[in-house]
Amino acid sequence: MTPTGGISALTKLFSTKPQKIISNLLIGADTTMKFPLNNNKGISSLAVITSLVIIALLFMLPNYVQSTYALHIMILIFINIVMGSSWNILGGYTGQYSVGHSAYFGVGAYTTLILMQFRQIPPWYGVWAGMLAALVIALIIGSICFRLRGPYFVLASIAVAEIFRVSALNLKDITNGAEGILTTEIPPFTINGTVITDFASKVPFYYTGLVFVLIVILATWLIQHSKLGYFFQAIREDQDAAHSLGISLTLYKNTALGISAILTSLAGSLYALYVGFIDPTTVLSLELSVSIVLICIIGGIGTIFGPIIGALVLVPLSEALRSNMVGEALISSGLVSAESKFGNFLTENLSHAHVLIYGILVVVVILFMPDGVLGFFRALSAKKHKETV
Amino acid sequence: MYKKIAATALILGLAIPGISQAAKVKIGFVNSITGPEAPIGENLSNGVTLALEDLKKRGIEVDLVKEDDTGKPEKSMAAFEKMATRDKVSGVVGPYTSATANAVAKLAEKYKTPLLIPVASKDEITRQHLKWTYRLSATTYDYATILLDMATSLGKPKTMAIINENTDFGTSGAKSAKAYAAKKGIIVVAEESYAKGSPDYRGTLSKIKSKNPDLVFMVSYVADAILLMRQSREIGITPQAFLGAGAGFATVAFAKEQDISNNVFSSTQWTGDVNWPGARDFDKRYKAKFGKEPSYHAATAYESMIIMAETAAKAGGDREKIRAALKSGKWNGIMGEVKFLDYEGYTNQNHHQMLVEQIQNGVHQTVYPPKYVSKKPVYPFPGWKK
Amino acid sequence: MNIFIQSLISGILIGGVYALIGIGLTIIFGVMRVINFAHGDLLMLGMYGTYYLFTLFNIDPFVSIVFTIPLMFLYGGFLQKFFINRVLGSLPQNQILLTIGMGLIMSNVVMLAFTSDYKILSTTYSSSSFNIMGISISSPLLISFAITAVITAALYWFLLKTDTGQAIRATAQDREAAQLMGINVKRMSIIAFGLGSALAGTAGALISPTYYIFPQVGSIFTLKAFVITVLGGMGSIVGATLGGILIGVAESIGGVYFGSGWKEVVVFVLFLLVLLFKPAGLMGKSNT
Repeated sequence: MTPTGGISALTKLFSTKPQKIISNLLIGADTTMKFPLNNNKGISSLAVITSLVIIALLFMLPNYVQSTYALHIMILIFINIVMGSSWNILGGYTGQYSVGHSAYFGVGAYTTLILMQFRQIPPWYGVWAGMLAALVIALIIGSICFRLRGPYFVLASIAVAEIFRVSALNLKDITNGAEGILTTEIPPFTINGTVITDFASKVPFYYTGLVFVLIVILATWLIQHSKLGYFFQAIREDQDAAHSLGISLTLYKNTALGISAILTSLAGSLYALYVGFIDPTTVLSLELSVSIVLICIIGGIGTIFGPIIGALVLVPLSEALRSNMVGEALISSGLVSAESKFGNFLTENLSHAHVLIYGILVVVVILFMPDGVLGFFRALSAKKHKETV
Repeated sequence: MYKKIAATALILGLAIPGISQAAKVKIGFVNSITGPEAPIGENLSNGVTLALEDLKKRGIEVDLVKEDDTGKPEKSMAAFEKMATRDKVSGVVGPYTSATANAVAKLAEKYKTPLLIPVASKDEITRQHLKWTYRLSATTYDYATILLDMATSLGKPKTMAIINENTDFGTSGAKSAKAYAAKKGIIVVAEESYAKGSPDYRGTLSKIKSKNPDLVFMVSYVADAILLMRQSREIGITPQAFLGAGAGFATVAFAKEQDISNNVFSSTQWTGDVNWPGARDFDKRYKAKFGKEPSYHAATAYESMIIMAETAAKAGGDREKIRAALKSGKWNGIMGEVKFLDYEGYTNQNHHQMLVEQIQNGVHQTVYPPKYVSKKPVYPFPGWKK
Repeated sequence: MNIFIQSLISGILIGGVYALIGIGLTIIFGVMRVINFAHGDLLMLGMYGTYYLFTLFNIDPFVSIVFTIPLMFLYGGFLQKFFINRVLGSLPQNQILLTIGMGLIMSNVVMLAFTSDYKILSTTYSSSSFNIMGISISSPLLISFAITAVITAALYWFLLKTDTGQAIRATAQDREAAQLMGINVKRMSIIAFGLGSALAGTAGALISPTYYIFPQVGSIFTLKAFVITVLGGMGSIVGATLGGILIGVAESIGGVYFGSGWKEVVVFVLFLLVLLFKPAGLMGKSNT
């Protein structure tokens, strides 16, 4: 049940067949044809080394950082990165904006916990069951929703997710309804009788999250640099043109959705095991679907690092606001006096305002940075280069 | 010589605890400050505020760590964890709502931090053999028993319809009502669990009306309570009694809607005119300070904070000592006698005496059990005024 | 049988209010092809406005729509001019996200200003009803239905008989052609959004005596509004009216026969069926 099995399966999917099809159809065309936003320049060795160093540092982090709170924030960031990156595959690369991704998140979460709590099946098997369930559901949803285009697809995806949420609320015998599922204890993970971890601390969740992030980023990278990725982006740019080129819309849209759903369910399972409590409102809500989309939009859709940046912006911001750190920081730094009316207003209300800030962030990003933070900075640096030339 | 006198006086002064120094304790408070239950959460916050004042007068300084869980269990869990590990509080009071309380009860066990739940009624919370969780309020089972005991003492109801919100609290309440009805030989003829937020219950209510139940048992928070009653009046449901399981039915906002609230019963953990020590005084002080009536939530929060802070002060902030003291202690305050017992499968549960109120002319009156009565109950339901 | 008729009638009555919300959304979509996710929040603003007019100045909710309509119209126009206009050319996804963001801002500002306490607007007739052959009919809902009918008729007349109305319809039919004909399409968009907002706000005012008011009430109605507009056909007012009533009835009867917990699923399943088999809706033309 290690993740490497999954990676080799993914690699196999991307390498062979599409090459044949595309070379037949695009006679004379260069098979490394570039589409907009596809960063297909070769990987510089500097980039490789930097990434490896960062990954190594992340792996060593728990040895040096004792604060459980810091680990907690990192785990949340990891879960958010996985959520955003998986959505990115369907929304960013294939251009199908699903605002109902909470369905897959919730399916992963519920499957894992139901199997663990009610059938005593350890989560390392449960997670796979969750992924399978998410895949099945994705294919069903795809067959219903992919007939629709643009805004209609968005609405259909929302409707489907809502049906799941209400069903989870009502099918009490399976899901415990509104009361939700609370985990008592995760069984210790043993290999050949030696206990690797008993999940008492946050560290195993940290590492699991880190590994999931690496899986998702690898998947995104593989997609971006493969023929599959070309097809996805072709569909995003112009569905009808892609179809006329012989790209099977049904096959590729559903593939994108399937991959996206599986990875999202991973995030859901991890969330459920880590937080220890799920109910329909937390893991199947429209609010969750919207925040999944937000992570990508804020960072920059259709890029590998967009969701990472989005998560890095949203998680600390949300946490800082909720726990009133911003208010306290402003006061302790002397910018705002604690006695003044404004100061009082801040301490009282800023923590409630984090959703408001979300909303403002969304509006600002859409109006002024529609390509996300990444796109914004890229445009800036492009301008700079233009000027120096 | 004066130096000697001064020195002796100083030593004596320091030796007698409480005279020159206040005991300091650090207590955490998780609450629904914002979110859908904020109106009730406000009662809890205010109760705690009054408690802190009183504790100060008794020489106990409480360093309060407040966290808002917005009514969501994952937030209350995060808040509890922060309080237990980063802020290193001696104990935690809260949260409000069954869902959040159930979630943090597990964490209390994990972090070995005493948790005193003022008011969250889901049965299961104290049925899990947890050593570090204590609950002050009675459970949903008690809500059901007191209401049905009262109904059967005032009349001979044979059938009952249950309407409940499909949340933790609502589902638990419905379960308890059904179980106890079976014991009392009352047949449940309809069970409707609704998702809150719907503007129209008329179809559901007419279904219930057609079954002609003797009792209508409702578990809702405020807004739905008002809508349900308004539409019951429209449809013309006239059972022997409307039984509200606390929450929305116990609030002043509901009582004020006299057209629809008159003669509705509500189970409650506390009323302003009950004769427990200090209860009436608390009621007056609360009204004077905050300009509104306290709900039972305020009283439970007040008493919980008093108990936790006093115990923490005596135990010098040591968590294990606090736990042991909570287990063995006895209190008698505005919530009546409090003792955390293990009984009938419950652990550390205060076997609290529930009360029943009836709204008469816009005011909640205590009508049951007989020894607490301030006004006689009106039974059966006299019908709707036109 | 009684139960069936009772649910049918109450479904129709509440469907009237739903219809008003749907009409507003369909006008916005028809003219600008924008999916307005903040529509429910506009309704919420209407509710709060009505509430304060009632509690501070004692103006009856039904009377106060005289104020609600123009105020919400101006507000809608303002939103269109300064925010929505900027994304008219972008991807529909961006438009959706923008309106989602605006909705979040509106509901949270209201939450900060007025707290998330549920506010109940109680008029003397809030729970009054009268009885016809054993079916009870809610008086305030009946009045709302009547007012909705009047407004819908007036709207229809406006769109059919006046120059501005016809200009709006032209813009909805083909924006470029309308522009070539000399219609100021930007202005039409502003008017359309203003109209849509005014209708949403009015729906809020009409429903306030029988419902409760809190900052997040919008999201419930936004989803319903979408179902209604798609059901009726995006851009069709008659369609939205029929759609609203149909949804009201489906909800009501579905709630009785499947259990009130499943009400929403009935609505969403209906929605998906329409999207799959007749995406243009009952009355719509398929020129998205």
